[in-house]
Amino acid sequence: MIATRTLSVQSFTGFVPPGPGAVSSLFPGIAPHSRLVDLRLPTISKGIYKLGVLNAKHSSTPPRAVAIDSNELGFSQSADEVKPMKYHFLVANAKFMLDEEEHFKELLFERLRNYGERNKEQDFWLVIEPKFLDQFTNITNRLRRPAVALVSTNDRWITFSGHYPKADFEAITGWQRWGRSFSIMFMKLRLDRVLAGSYEAGTVEEALASSNVDLQFEKPEKWAAPYPKYEFGWWEPFLPPLSSKSQA
Amino acid sequence: MTAAAAAAAAAAAMELAVAKSINPIAKFGRSTPKAGCGAMRPLLRARASAATAEAAPPARGKGKKEIKETLLTPRFYTTDFEEMEQLFNKEINQSLNQSEFDALLNEFKTDYNQTHFVRSSEFKEAADKIQGPLRQIFVEFLERSCTAEFSGFLLYKELGRRLKKTNPVVAEIFSLMSRDEARHAGFLNKGLSDFNFALDLGFLTKARKYTFFKPKFIFYATYLSEKIGYWRYITIYRHLKENPKYQLYPIFKYFENWCQDENRHGDFFSALLKAQPQFLNDWKAKLWSRFFCLSVYVTMYLNDCQRTAFYEGIGLNTKEFDMHVIIETNRTTARIFPAVLDVENPEFKRKLERMVEINKKLIAVGESDENSVVKNLKRIPLAAALASELLAAYLMPPVESGSVDFAEFEPQLVY
Repeated sequence: MIATRTLSVQSFTGFVPPGPGAVSSLFPGIAPHSRLVDLRLPTISKGIYKLGVLNAKHSSTPPRAVAIDSNELGFSQSADEVKPMKYHFLVANAKFMLDEEEHFKELLFERLRNYGERNKEQDFWLVIEPKFLDQFTNITNRLRRPAVALVSTNDRWITFSGHYPKADFEAITGWQRWGRSFSIMFMKLRLDRVLAGSYEAGTVEEALASSNVDLQFEKPEKWAAPYPKYEFGWWEPFLPPLSSKSQA
Repeated sequence: MTAAAAAAAAAAAMELAVAKSINPIAKFGRSTPKAGCGAMRPLLRARASAATAEAAPPARGKGKKEIKETLLTPRFYTTDFEEMEQLFNKEINQSLNQSEFDALLNEFKTDYNQTHFVRSSEFKEAADKIQGPLRQIFVEFLERSCTAEFSGFLLYKELGRRLKKTNPVVAEIFSLMSRDEARHAGFLNKGLSDFNFALDLGFLTKARKYTFFKPKFIFYATYLSEKIGYWRYITIYRHLKENPKYQLYPIFKYFENWCQDENRHGDFFSALLKAQPQFLNDWKAKLWSRFFCLSVYVTMYLNDCQRTAFYEGIGLNTKEFDMHVIIETNRTTARIFPAVLDVENPEFKRKLERMVEINKKLIAVGESDENSVVKNLKRIPLAAALASELLAAYLMPPVESGSVDFAEFEPQLVY
């Protein structure tokens, strides 16, 4: 079964080149999402291993056309098939995510505390050097490595997209869909200097697979704060539970 | 802390920077609430002055001490609500990125701190142990913080009410932020009761003078004040976590969760600014951005340097604390404002230092026994010196900045 992979990178390639167009996009009257690239690329939901085959098969197909095809397939899938899950992510280099942006740590722990208080199952993870990035060359070529992604999923999004007629669904950009999805968009607003996208995967293990890397952060040259940095490794509670297995 | 704290700062510095008259500078005098006696806290009674030109509100009750309202006192704010309605009217402004607001609303509805502000018996015991001059300083800290939070409550509450029809989502966010501010103010007011004081917030609402800011200035000022509030609170929290012997009063233990609210409020103003790109994308926006940064940073620095006893009392070096907060706030602000100040340039700190020295002399003149004509004459050169330092700081080469959503400034950005 083919499903869509939506890539919405908020990037400079999304800007109209300097000129009247670029300026006008900053003014009211032009939808903000018109600044976004919204590519729809083909992928396979039930196993990234099939990706190469599919990419070869559709290499000459315009992405948008494929997306519509895949949606049709997606909507008509039979009940016994595993429903692919949609994952949204933000990604930046590891130093930014884990070392520099200390408020990010506070936000994640706050969320974890909240989930605990309300008996909510954790649906967000930090993935170090995620394997899914291999699919996103337009992200990886502007990303310092090692990279760290915040990945999240929620059921509400699935319900939401299912309710939409296909035509409307196509017209909605990634950003607007993320508005419905838990907090990825909020996190983007907070962190700002991150790239964002989404993908589908059949299993959690596959979705959150990561490559084994040793993280090392140089100590800041001057540390003027009247307190020490958060301890190295604070992110461990947010690593996927099966990460050791998938790293093997 | 809240909208008010830094917006107050901005207003104060604005009046200063413009240097319309030397009188406002005269009001730089430290507000010295001579607290004590265990009597009810005097309710704020603003003195009519050149700076607060409107009629003074009536004094309430007899025998209650009054607090001098100075330029650096947290203020109450009001704005052009009709212009606000226009700005957030979806029919007029169809480009509003509603989804960003939906995401924020979701965050605010989650209400992370719903059960956070619960007091323990520790509070009263700790307060009783704080004696001597530090006690008075603590009371002043609680009072100013409470006023600042409450000021945010009033402004957000009104915006929530006024925007209900034109933009229910933005309106609801304002209402939920006013929920947070009310909680914070209430918690601080209970803290005051540990010291046998209380602020009559109902009276404050009616009695205080309200400062008018156009919507765009509300956005810049409240963004900065929320973010600087976050950095102040989290810095105090993390410092005390590392140095528990200075943990004199349990309220600081609540700061970690508390200041996440401030940070989120700041994010909302960031989204509001993004929804109004005309406030971010031209040379005027850059000048205003720098102006508000300078106002807020300078006001905090001068304010805190008059209250070093408080920061030293909790084991902080006031100036190092302030510089850390300024640098971090400036870095955060560079994610949205189109220009910020080069606060990491050592020259910026040198300028702040000179302002502190001039301000000290101004205070000394104010406290001297000379007659007012002589005082004013003595103030003229000092006020001019302060204004020129401010202007020089304002004109230092800025740092171009902004959200990557609008980033033209760094076309080859690598993440």
